[in-house]
Amino acid sequence: MSIALLAVLVPLLAAIPLALAGSATSASYFNLALNAVTFALTLGVGFSPGTGMLHADHLGIIFGILSGFVGFTTSINNIGFIKSEQGRKSIRRWRLYHAMCQVMLGTTLLGLYADNIGLLWVAVEGATISATLGVSLSRTASALEAAWKYFILGGVGIALALFGIMLTYLAAQPALGPGIAAMSFNALTQHAAQLDGSLMTLAFVFLLFGFGTKAALVPLHGWLPDAYAEGPIPLTATLSVLLLNVGLLALLRFRHLMSANAAAGAGAMHPGPFLLILGLASLFLTGFSLWRRRDSRRFFGFSSIEHSGIAIFAFGIGGPAIIFGGLLHMLLHTLLKSALFQALTKAALARGSAAPGNYGFSHLRGMIATNKHLGWLLVICIFALTGLPPSGLFTSEYLIISQTIIRDPYYSLPLGAGLLLCAIAIIRQVGPVGFAPAPASAKPQKAGADIITIYAHLILVLLLAFAMPVALVTLLSHIADTLQ
Amino acid sequence: MSNFIYPLAHLLGGLILICAFALLSQRRLAAMITLYQFEAMILTAAAFWQGYAQHELALYLTGIITLVIKAIALPIGLRRIVKNFNIVRAVETAMPVGLSMILGVGLIGVAVWVVLPTTMSAVTLTREDLAISLSVVLLGLLVMTTRRNALSQVVGFLSTENGLVLAAIGMPGMPFVAELSVALLVLMAFLVVGVFLFRIREHFDNLDIAGIESIEKQGR
Repeated sequence: MSIALLAVLVPLLAAIPLALAGSATSASYFNLALNAVTFALTLGVGFSPGTGMLHADHLGIIFGILSGFVGFTTSINNIGFIKSEQGRKSIRRWRLYHAMCQVMLGTTLLGLYADNIGLLWVAVEGATISATLGVSLSRTASALEAAWKYFILGGVGIALALFGIMLTYLAAQPALGPGIAAMSFNALTQHAAQLDGSLMTLAFVFLLFGFGTKAALVPLHGWLPDAYAEGPIPLTATLSVLLLNVGLLALLRFRHLMSANAAAGAGAMHPGPFLLILGLASLFLTGFSLWRRRDSRRFFGFSSIEHSGIAIFAFGIGGPAIIFGGLLHMLLHTLLKSALFQALTKAALARGSAAPGNYGFSHLRGMIATNKHLGWLLVICIFALTGLPPSGLFTSEYLIISQTIIRDPYYSLPLGAGLLLCAIAIIRQVGPVGFAPAPASAKPQKAGADIITIYAHLILVLLLAFAMPVALVTLLSHIADTLQ
Repeated sequence: MSNFIYPLAHLLGGLILICAFALLSQRRLAAMITLYQFEAMILTAAAFWQGYAQHELALYLTGIITLVIKAIALPIGLRRIVKNFNIVRAVETAMPVGLSMILGVGLIGVAVWVVLPTTMSAVTLTREDLAISLSVVLLGLLVMTTRRNALSQVVGFLSTENGLVLAAIGMPGMPFVAELSVALLVLMAFLVVGVFLFRIREHFDNLDIAGIESIEKQGR
C-alpha cells in the first residue's frame, strides 16, 4: 500500500469513529491527532506516490502537503472553536461536523493525487456532498437555502464534468483504445497530440463548466459566497479553500491536453481565450461585488473568487513562467486565506460567538483596540490579500502581469485594472477592522497560544514568496514546463 | 441478432429522449414522476441491451442498479414526499410551456449539431447515442431552469443523470461504468433524501425556491 493511498484512506476511514464520538471536545482532539497523522503522510507521499489509478505526480504532492498543513493548523484552531461553540448544537451535529471535516480533507487529497479522471470525479463529488452537509449544519433558513443552492449548482457542475470526462475518454480512443489507459492523466498527457482534437474541444467545454463550478469561476460562482458565510467556519470556509485548488488543478491539466493537442495541429481549439474570459470576468465581478458586502465571510468568499480568477487567467495566457506564477499564486492564496479565516474565527470568538451571522464588519470593528495581538494579525492578513507590496501575493501577481505584458500585452490592461479595483475594495476594510474604535460591548482579551498557527502560515507565505528554497523553485519550474 | 444492435439501441435512446422531452411539457408533479419512472425503465433496457451487444457483464449490473433504485425506489420516495408534504400538485413554471418546448427543440438541435460533426471518426453507435444523451442532459437542465419548484427541479436533475448514464453505457469498453453510475446514484439519492431531511418546505414556502433570492436581497 502506497503512502498516497494511506494519506487518502486515513481521513476517509477516520470519519467513522468521529461519527460515533462521545463528546465534541474529545472528537476535536482526536480530529487534531488524525490531521497530524495525515499531514505527516502527505509529507511522505513523495517517497511512495503510488501506482495505477492513484498516482501522485509532483503537482499533486506539493498541493497535498499544502492541504495536509492547512488541515493540521485548522484542526488546532478547531479545538478553541469547539470549546466555545459546543453548547450551541447537539452532539449529533458535532459528530457529523467532525466526520465531514475528515471526509472533506480525504476527498481533497484524493482529488489531488488521482491519476484516473474517473477517480478525480468521484473525489469532487464526495467533496460536494460533504460540503453540502457542512453548510446545512446550523439548520437555519439561510443555511438551508445556501446548502440547497450549493447542492444544485455543484450537482449540475459535476454532472457536466462527468459528461466531459466521458467525451475525453472517447477522444482518447484513437490513441489509447478502449480500457483504463484512456482515463489516465499520465497516458493522456503522453498521447496528447494523438487525441481527437474536435472531440477534445467539446469535452473541454463541459470540463470547464464542471470543474469551473468547483473553482468558483464567474459565472459559475453563485454558490461560494453563501456557502462560505453559512455553516461552521473551520469546515465551510477554511477547509473549502483547499477544494478550489482541486478544481483549478484539474482545469490546468485538461488545459495542457488541449494546448498540446492544438500545438501538434490535431484539431483542438486553443484553450486560452475560454480561460482568459472566465478569469477576467471573475476579477471584475468580484472587484465590483466587494464594495457592497457587509459580512466578512461573504466578503472574503468573493475575494477567493478573485484569486481563482487570477490563477485561471495565468493558465489561460500559458507558457512556463506564467504557469509558475499561477501555481505560486494558488499556494500563497491558500495559505493566506486559511490564515485569515483562522484569524476571523478568533476575532468572532473574542466578540462573543463564532456562529454564522457574527462576522459582520460592523461587529468586528476595532479589533486592535480590544485584542491588540489578534487585531494586528487580522490587519496583516487582510492587507496581504490585496497583493500590494510587501505582501507575498505581490510576487506572484507581479510575475503574472509581467508575463502577460510580454506574451499578450492587450490583456494586461484589464488584468491590471481588475487587480487594482479588488485591491482598493479590500484595503478599505483594513481601517475599520483594525483601527476604528471598538463597539462599547467588546471586552479586551488576550490572544490564546494557538494564534501561533497564523504566524506559521504568514511565515510560510513570506518564505515561498521571497525566499523560496532552490529545490522547490526547480520542482515548480519543472512542473510549469511540462504543463505549459 | 447483430442486425438489431444499432436499431434497437437507437430506438431505446429515442424513447428516453421522448420521455425527457415530455417532462418539459408536464406541469403536474405526479405525471413528471411517472415519466421519470418510464425513462429509468427504458434506460434499464438500454443498459441490458448494451451489455449484450458489448459482452460486458458490468453493464448488466448497471441495468439492475438502475431498475431497482431509479425505476422503483426513487419514484416511491418522490411520491411519498409529494403526499407527506402536501405539495401543490401543479407546478408553477418560470416561462410558458410552449416557449420552453421550443427551447427544448433548439437544445436538441444544438446537441446534434455539436456532436455529429465532431465525432466523425468514432463508431456510429457511439455517435448517435452521444447526440441523444447530450440532448437528454440539456433537456433535464432546461427542466431545472424553467421550474420554480424544488421537487420538479430534482426530477429534472434525475433526468439529466439518466442522460449521463445513457452516454456512459454507450461508450465502447469504458471502464468503471457501473462504479460511476453508482457514484452518481449516491448523489441523486442524497438529493431526494435531502429534500426530506432539510425539510425545505418549512423554510422554502411549499418547496418554492423563490426564497433563495432573499439572500441576495439582504445584500450581505
